[in-house]
Amino acid sequence: MNDSAPDKVTSRRGFFQLAFGWLAAIFAATASAAGAVRFLVPNVLFEPDQRFKAGKPDDYLDGAVTFLDDERVFIVRKGNTFRCLSAICTHLGCTVNRAGQGFHCPCHGSVFDDQGVVKSGPAPRPLDWFSVSLSKDNRLLVDKGRRVTDDKYLVI
Amino acid sequence: MNAPAPKRLWQRFTRTRVGRSIFRVGLPESNLERSQAMVSSFLLHVQPAKVHRHALRASYSLGLGLISLYLFCILCGTGVLLMFYYVPSTDKAYDIMKDLQFVVSAGLVIRNMHRWAAHLMVLFVMLHMCRVFYTGAYKNPREFNWVLGVGLLLVTLGLSFTGYLLPWDQLAFWAITVGTSIAGYAPVVGEKLKYLMLGGHIVGQDSLTRFYALHVIVLPAIAVLMISVHLFRVRKDGGLSRPDEPGDVVEQIPLGQLPANKSYGLMELARGTTPQVGKNPEDEVFSWPHLVFRELLLFLLVTAVVLFLAIFWNAPLEEIANAVHPPNPAKAPWYFLGLQELVSYSAFWGGVVVPGLLVTALALLPYIDRKRHGVGRWFARERVVANTIFSVCVAIAVIFTVIGSLFRGPNWSWVEPWKNPPAVTEGH
Repeated sequence: MNDSAPDKVTSRRGFFQLAFGWLAAIFAATASAAGAVRFLVPNVLFEPDQRFKAGKPDDYLDGAVTFLDDERVFIVRKGNTFRCLSAICTHLGCTVNRAGQGFHCPCHGSVFDDQGVVKSGPAPRPLDWFSVSLSKDNRLLVDKGRRVTDDKYLVI
Repeated sequence: MNAPAPKRLWQRFTRTRVGRSIFRVGLPESNLERSQAMVSSFLLHVQPAKVHRHALRASYSLGLGLISLYLFCILCGTGVLLMFYYVPSTDKAYDIMKDLQFVVSAGLVIRNMHRWAAHLMVLFVMLHMCRVFYTGAYKNPREFNWVLGVGLLLVTLGLSFTGYLLPWDQLAFWAITVGTSIAGYAPVVGEKLKYLMLGGHIVGQDSLTRFYALHVIVLPAIAVLMISVHLFRVRKDGGLSRPDEPGDVVEQIPLGQLPANKSYGLMELARGTTPQVGKNPEDEVFSWPHLVFRELLLFLLVTAVVLFLAIFWNAPLEEIANAVHPPNPAKAPWYFLGLQELVSYSAFWGGVVVPGLLVTALALLPYIDRKRHGVGRWFARERVVANTIFSVCVAIAVIFTVIGSLFRGPNWSWVEPWKNPPAVTEGH
């Protein structure tokens, strides 16, 4: 400590007492705040599985875009290829509606084409495509936890 | 003595041993007692015994801050009553709204009062801010009280937002979805913040529990604390702002420069403008009855208006929350429609950057605009630049709100309100 005022020279003991006191106070405050915030971050979630079975491939008509209510996705079938498109708007999370060949979001007016690509509106990126595979019992198996590019198909 | 019967009865009561032990001062008869009545009462002592005439002018303050405070009190009262029935459960919340509407005695009126008082509080807090701006009342020494006021505006909006989530109707569900998604656009902490707000990845029971805790204890506690400091500061900063008068500017002794070998009375340390030193006593009147009765009258008026609205108009309740389909269009309450219009251009710019900059600018305002002129008068000519800039901002906010309210239809498409909206034909 090089204190400029000569009558306010801090002794070594005084300096350490002050420094330790402040450090302890800052540490206690930071630790309490961090503990409280960490407490609010849940460690275990009781949320539904991201994977689900979407029925038999033949349940879907050729060329159809079928909305699955509970999962908020569209199953897109073309010939013997299957894909799964998210119905959750990439803007602020509303469910998009099928409109003509594309999709409209009712909340803030984003418009997507049939490939989920943004045509207009505030959505920052295209709708997500999810991985589709075939389960052992010949059902479509969608994993909403795995995003894929729009050129990945399940071919049956 | 020909005083009216209730007054005589009251006087007799306050002269009894019990009455005197509770109230100390009966109905004041002299100026001394008028001062004592203010000082000895817990509720009244928050206010000075005498107030400046200027502070009583309804045309100056319009009573907007006081109206906001009264609305907050009504909200606390009705809110506590609603808590006796409400359960923050996604399965039960909506049914309880219906119970309040159709089964519980006075349930409908109390819920209506709570909702309309909430809408009015948002409105009056905003109007109060405009009044303080246009009268230059945020200037030295009231800078920090303006900052507290900006904080209170945010707390009010937070209380409104968390409040309309609780019925768990369509508005609630999709407001949480959209609101937390906007938070997700915040730089660096966005995604974490969203996870923290929702208590997970999906909008569900954990989210409702969190917003309930925020609505019934966290935010009200913050509001009570900030309102207390806000009112305390009004008094410590010299009462309501008013134009400078000769003798007003009392030199203030910087605390650090006081010789330490002398003891000081409180009056020597107090801020220069608070004590009555150097003031013309002709400008001051006794708070009892001049201030107290005006306040009582305003309280009755505010309560009457809220009750009137609650009796004749029902609070909105949309359909029960549907986690698959938002309503079309899904519109926020009026005070967020400007924001909704903004995010319909860009979630990041309209939902994070613009509101963030606005709040920052508002909070810094008294430290940017530091010239001490034009305080205490509406639309002072010396403040024409500041007033114009502020008016343009207010006008833009109003225009965006009007567009969001009236000119947006299904799929947030442009509609003209004087034409019939086009029918929604799309679906799944």
